[in-house]
Amino acid sequence: MRVGNYELKLEKRLTLTNWEAAIISILAIIFALALFSFIFTLAKINPLLAYQEIFSYAFANPYGLPLTINRFIFLLLCTSAFIIPFRAGLWNIGMTGQLYAGALGTFAVLFAFGGNVPGSADLSPEILIPLMLVVAALGGAVLAAIAGFLKGKFNVNEIVVTMMLNFIAFWLVAQMIKEGGPFKAPGGEGQSFVVSPSVYAPLIMNVPFTIFLALGAAVLLSFLFARTKIGYQIKAHGHNPAAARYAGISTFKIPLLVFIMGGALAGLAGYHYFAAVPGVYKISSNYGYFGDLAFYGIICGLISLGDPLVAIPVTLLFGGLSVGGRFVQGKLHMGFGVDYALLGVLMIALVAFQFFYRYKIVRVSAGEERLDVGVHS
Amino acid sequence: MWEFIARSLEASMIFTFAGLGELIDQRSGVLNVGIEGLMLFGATLGFIAALSTENYWLGLLVGIAIGGLLGLLHGFFSITLGVDQVVSGMGIWILGFGLTTYIGNPYTGPLGMERIPTYLGLSPFFYVGIALVVIAWFVLSKTSLGLRIRSVGENPSVAEVSGLNVNKTRYLCVTIGGMLMGLAGAIYSLYYNPVWNYNFLMGWGFIALALVFFSMWNPLILLGGSLLFGTLWQLSLNPQLVLPGVLSRYIWRTVPFVITIGALLIMSTRWFRIRWGAARPEALGTPYVKE
Repeated sequence: MRVGNYELKLEKRLTLTNWEAAIISILAIIFALALFSFIFTLAKINPLLAYQEIFSYAFANPYGLPLTINRFIFLLLCTSAFIIPFRAGLWNIGMTGQLYAGALGTFAVLFAFGGNVPGSADLSPEILIPLMLVVAALGGAVLAAIAGFLKGKFNVNEIVVTMMLNFIAFWLVAQMIKEGGPFKAPGGEGQSFVVSPSVYAPLIMNVPFTIFLALGAAVLLSFLFARTKIGYQIKAHGHNPAAARYAGISTFKIPLLVFIMGGALAGLAGYHYFAAVPGVYKISSNYGYFGDLAFYGIICGLISLGDPLVAIPVTLLFGGLSVGGRFVQGKLHMGFGVDYALLGVLMIALVAFQFFYRYKIVRVSAGEERLDVGVHS
Repeated sequence: MWEFIARSLEASMIFTFAGLGELIDQRSGVLNVGIEGLMLFGATLGFIAALSTENYWLGLLVGIAIGGLLGLLHGFFSITLGVDQVVSGMGIWILGFGLTTYIGNPYTGPLGMERIPTYLGLSPFFYVGIALVVIAWFVLSKTSLGLRIRSVGENPSVAEVSGLNVNKTRYLCVTIGGMLMGLAGAIYSLYYNPVWNYNFLMGWGFIALALVFFSMWNPLILLGGSLLFGTLWQLSLNPQLVLPGVLSRYIWRTVPFVITIGALLIMSTRWFRIRWGAARPEALGTPYVKE
């Protein structure tokens, strides 16, 4: 393509610097938001006004900001759960099921200690909260381990398996909280009993302590990938499983391990949303919505290019977008599902921009002889 | 009992259409994990078109058309742009899941049109589905077009050298495959369960994907698998027909998914692959870059 004296050419990238990757990701998000303006325009809403509402509610509103922070914690855990297998070249799209398993683990602990009977003897938070965390992580890890085991041992497609496990976990939650289920609220309609106030998660400036778990996990993972042998093995498996095997890396243990680690973090996300967020403290009847939100983890993980530290600002932004999207839907009288539509548009824009991770547009002045043409084909 | 059998056969056809689309994609070497997204689009837009024009034909056509367009989009991403096929498929699935939730929401509820007429107790989709399976089997294994598709899926560079246009063949397959997936969605929302609800598919597309792996890329085996899973799905909705009072209805809903995992496990074992010589297209999932 010619523009004035210059010619625009596509060139294959040999390397991708962090700056280039960041710029591509930011452009992808801006492109998606621009694309999404059409949806606002179709609903006869000024897109600029809508985005102003979304961002000011999500990041500057006394009601919106805590929602954003809670969603950020949840998304960061889900994104880390996606990233760990992703670095090993595997797809975990089962965060939904794993967080359900974590939630079931959490409520199983409460149930075992009689927390389902309102006004029962005070539960001791020093024992129960750590126990809930451990069992929640264990629940997610066990569910994910099925996919990791089958992948490592028999090379069963992990995308299909994790998705099947999502549906299995979805119905298992229904089994536990709906009619006749042991976790059902006394007299309640299709939701779980409420967490006893004595074991509410501690809040630090109104933010659940789970924020430290999420941030700590991201930092630890970053260290794991950059500095440790196991991190190196995970990355080697991601680049080329066959070559990794020749290098003595177990193609059974790595898939199993990354899924266990990812599942544990997703399980903690389940603890966070159903037992630590002020105002929730139960598995609500619309728990499917929280499961759907976990799919933002795929987008955040891809945009961060699998870097757990980059995922921190990305999940904060996306947490805010999803909270704000739900808010403008009500405020501007739009149909249900604005946050879902935003999810879809962001994802497809990101896919289109994947191209630029591999190619770049270069500008050469017309007529100038290029000596390196053809060298890197 | 007949009602149950008929219903199972109708459910099977949805798996058949979607799976056949995916099978054609994969035979040409393109993996599309976004079947569920294409089905959601076909189902939702087909439902809206039929509802607003009171015309089933238009609904089905819209379903086929949007499926074809999204198939083309997947082709553009994965063939022309060379994006990882799994990433592109995931993108189309999440796009479908997200956007149809918003688009379809004002139309939540039953379709409320007279049912599509049946012949000998079964909808026309059943007969069309069987015919398509036979045609696909014949085309893929007995014609030069089928040979072209298979060679592009097995070894694209050799195919290109022998004068075939790899990208054109793959585009053809992803478009036809997408149309079949869109149609599968439209059949679901216009005939099988004519009520629009958010994310109503609940895994049909992903089971269809598993069925293709299970079929060893043979349309006839795919049909067998679809019949099995259609019946299984119907059974999971009505467990009282076989085992009244055993397990709750929620546990029954997990059964098709558990069996899908089991089936995939069996076909992934070394024993199975040696015994049946699973014919996975060699170039499946790898973009073809002309040298």
